[in-house]
Amino acid sequence: MGLGYTGKILVVDLTTGRIRSETVPEWIYEQFLSGVGLAAWYLYRHIPTDADPLGPENVLGFAAGALTGTGSLFSGRWMVVGKSPLTGCWGEANCGGTFAPAIKQCGYDGIFFSGISPHPVYLFADNNTAELRDATDLWGLDAGATEARLCAMHPGRKRPRIACIGPAGERQSLIAGVVHDGGRLAARAGLGAVMGAKRLKAVALAGSQRIKVHDRSGVLRLSREVSATVQNQPPFVSGKVAAYLGRLIRVLPTQMETDGLLYKMILRKWGTVGMNQMSIEMGDAPVQNWRGTHHDFDLDTSSRLAPEVFTRPVVAKYFCYSCPLGCGALVEGAPGAPRGHRPEYETAMALGPLCLNADSDSIFQMNEMLNRAGMDSISAGATIAFAMECYEHGLITRADTDGLDLSWGNSAAMVALIDKMIRREGIGDLLADGSRMAARRIGAGSGRFAMHAGGQELPMHDSRFDPGFALHYAVEPAPGRHTVGSFLYYEMFQLWREIEDLPDPSRFYLKRRKYDTDLEKARMAAACSQFVNLLNAAGICLFGAFLGIRRLPVFQWLDAVSGRPRSPEVYLQIGANIQTVRQAFNFRQGIDPLVIRVSDRALGRPPQSRGANEGRSVAVEKLLKDYFRQFGWDEGTGRPTEKALGDINL
Amino acid sequence: MAYTITDLCIGCGLCKMVCPVDAITGKPRKDHLIVPVRCIECGACGRICPAEAVKDPEGKVCRRVRFRHRWERPHISEAVCIGCAICIQSCPVSCLGLSEPGGSIDSVRKAVLQFPEHCIACAFCAADCPVDAIRMAPPEAAEAAPTDAAPPGEPPRSDEK
Repeated sequence: MGLGYTGKILVVDLTTGRIRSETVPEWIYEQFLSGVGLAAWYLYRHIPTDADPLGPENVLGFAAGALTGTGSLFSGRWMVVGKSPLTGCWGEANCGGTFAPAIKQCGYDGIFFSGISPHPVYLFADNNTAELRDATDLWGLDAGATEARLCAMHPGRKRPRIACIGPAGERQSLIAGVVHDGGRLAARAGLGAVMGAKRLKAVALAGSQRIKVHDRSGVLRLSREVSATVQNQPPFVSGKVAAYLGRLIRVLPTQMETDGLLYKMILRKWGTVGMNQMSIEMGDAPVQNWRGTHHDFDLDTSSRLAPEVFTRPVVAKYFCYSCPLGCGALVEGAPGAPRGHRPEYETAMALGPLCLNADSDSIFQMNEMLNRAGMDSISAGATIAFAMECYEHGLITRADTDGLDLSWGNSAAMVALIDKMIRREGIGDLLADGSRMAARRIGAGSGRFAMHAGGQELPMHDSRFDPGFALHYAVEPAPGRHTVGSFLYYEMFQLWREIEDLPDPSRFYLKRRKYDTDLEKARMAAACSQFVNLLNAAGICLFGAFLGIRRLPVFQWLDAVSGRPRSPEVYLQIGANIQTVRQAFNFRQGIDPLVIRVSDRALGRPPQSRGANEGRSVAVEKLLKDYFRQFGWDEGTGRPTEKALGDINL
Repeated sequence: MAYTITDLCIGCGLCKMVCPVDAITGKPRKDHLIVPVRCIECGACGRICPAEAVKDPEGKVCRRVRFRHRWERPHISEAVCIGCAICIQSCPVSCLGLSEPGGSIDSVRKAVLQFPEHCIACAFCAADCPVDAIRMAPPEAAEAAPTDAAPPGEPPRSDEK
């Protein structure tokens, strides 16, 4: 038995109520590690072709990584996986908090649900038991109330850790997520709707088993070094300086290789909202449903969304399990959010400049509403921006919107609209399944205003600014995610320092070089995909990985935990194996990766006529062949070859 | 590996009561038994057993520590703690918690011994702490040792809660 794993998974059939513990063969861990790798293997085997994502055949999995609970830092991330009802592709969402160790402390590396329960249930598990219990009383409660009620119902010695859905998931909104710890969301891919369709209200885990580690003191020694790096924080400049730095990046024709330490400092000081103004200024944050520029949301306007504005009601930093950084924050007394989590960058941008909304109070309020309802704030914001553009062009009118004036930046209407989306009332019902579905319902050519990749709303990182994002938005087995790769991420991961074959980016380069399509770009993208798969299999946080591979010793931690040293190349191969299984999963579900479309605007078609990304367009198609080849897949179609599948025993 | 109960057991049931994971079975005044797959090796049974009838996984007899309030407990150095909450999750009886928010973005909630009466002295928190902020010592040791890194008065503050 490899150390760091429990070697078991819990399999729950909700239709029959049968629960069993299964032993996972050792070779699975060898090839796919734990976490998303283990989950990909399980779902590939158990979800049949053409399964209805909201039907009983779909499997919903919760998986913890190989490093979680071993004493390594940044290892508190867990994954929710399933076939996405939003895209029909491989669906995955990642979340922090304290749920990841809780899965392993019950003695499992993953928990998988199939079937549909005849009535609402929740799973309770601890060291010795795992049982489904009636959740009729919990159905209809928001996520915060559900957690509070479940904690009160289980006053045992160990406090339970809970993942649940809110009303959005119950109503099977296709942009619903899974909520944990009062407002941390595994938001993407609409997996909350899968949980709602299965009538699984919550998973409550109260285990306290120990996770075996080969060399715990070795792991802790490495952790101490990481902690020292993270704690070392220079006195910091004001948020305004970050905004001017963004402006400088926009104006200069050259760019510099970015070191993740800078990013770490911003995260440690303000969290992700530290990037707000900077991103708008440099052209990373899309404005006005991706058609605007910083001219439409100038520095004066964006100063109302400055980092300081978002930190004013903060009462403490929020740390996920085993995190030395603490990029989250708890707020008290904010408008509409008496006690909750501070909005993150993605939320602030999706509900802010994307809809031309500069009212931070409304963003606090909508953030809290979405967190409690369990709805993805990226998708919700993007869908509202879509609706606003439709309204502007007269495709929907006041008669359709139940009297709401959906002009750009009308924050009061946005708050009302989100409430309707959560309740699925009137116009809210039309929009509650994301922009692609809404465009189908509205028709009349509204599809051109829906900014998505394969059905999933695009996140708040402009692929025209960093074309590295475009490839991942388009061809990842889970399309439209910003947590996989880009040129910026590649620079920060610094993988070439450990793996000689990988290209070393220049210290200074002309910005327009980013838009060249060459083999090097495809190799960098493939390395990002592989590495992030490995992180998700190990349970490591992306922000931790931004420190660079020399400062965040993921490979050495894995060596120390398992007691079996492996080379960095072998670890990246594990990431590649996971990518192949996820790709094979999509093919089995009838998804052709070449058909997944990123909306034209996000690729600069036509290019913008002004702003930071003026004249930029991204020829993502030209990179596909080289990208597919990196994984040993068919160049033309992206289908994993017999050999690639044979190599990983599928 | 797990703890075991020898035939010195008098069937008092104290171990069964203190075991955080319900790994011990047995009727009053009958020999008790530890279910090996459930045991998490916290050693609480060994510390509480009045007959010293518990052996650790290496086969050594566990020494009884009379009076539970004298058992070692975590002393957390607030200056060293980084607030990562690993210890809180490691604790099998949830006796650790986070301190109150300080009211600003720079406020880091540190680990505190919230429910000292629940502590079973397993030392999992100290073993897992990545920055060595936790030291196991009897309750009175913190006040007795002036060189202690923990700020004076911290354990009493947690006791008040």
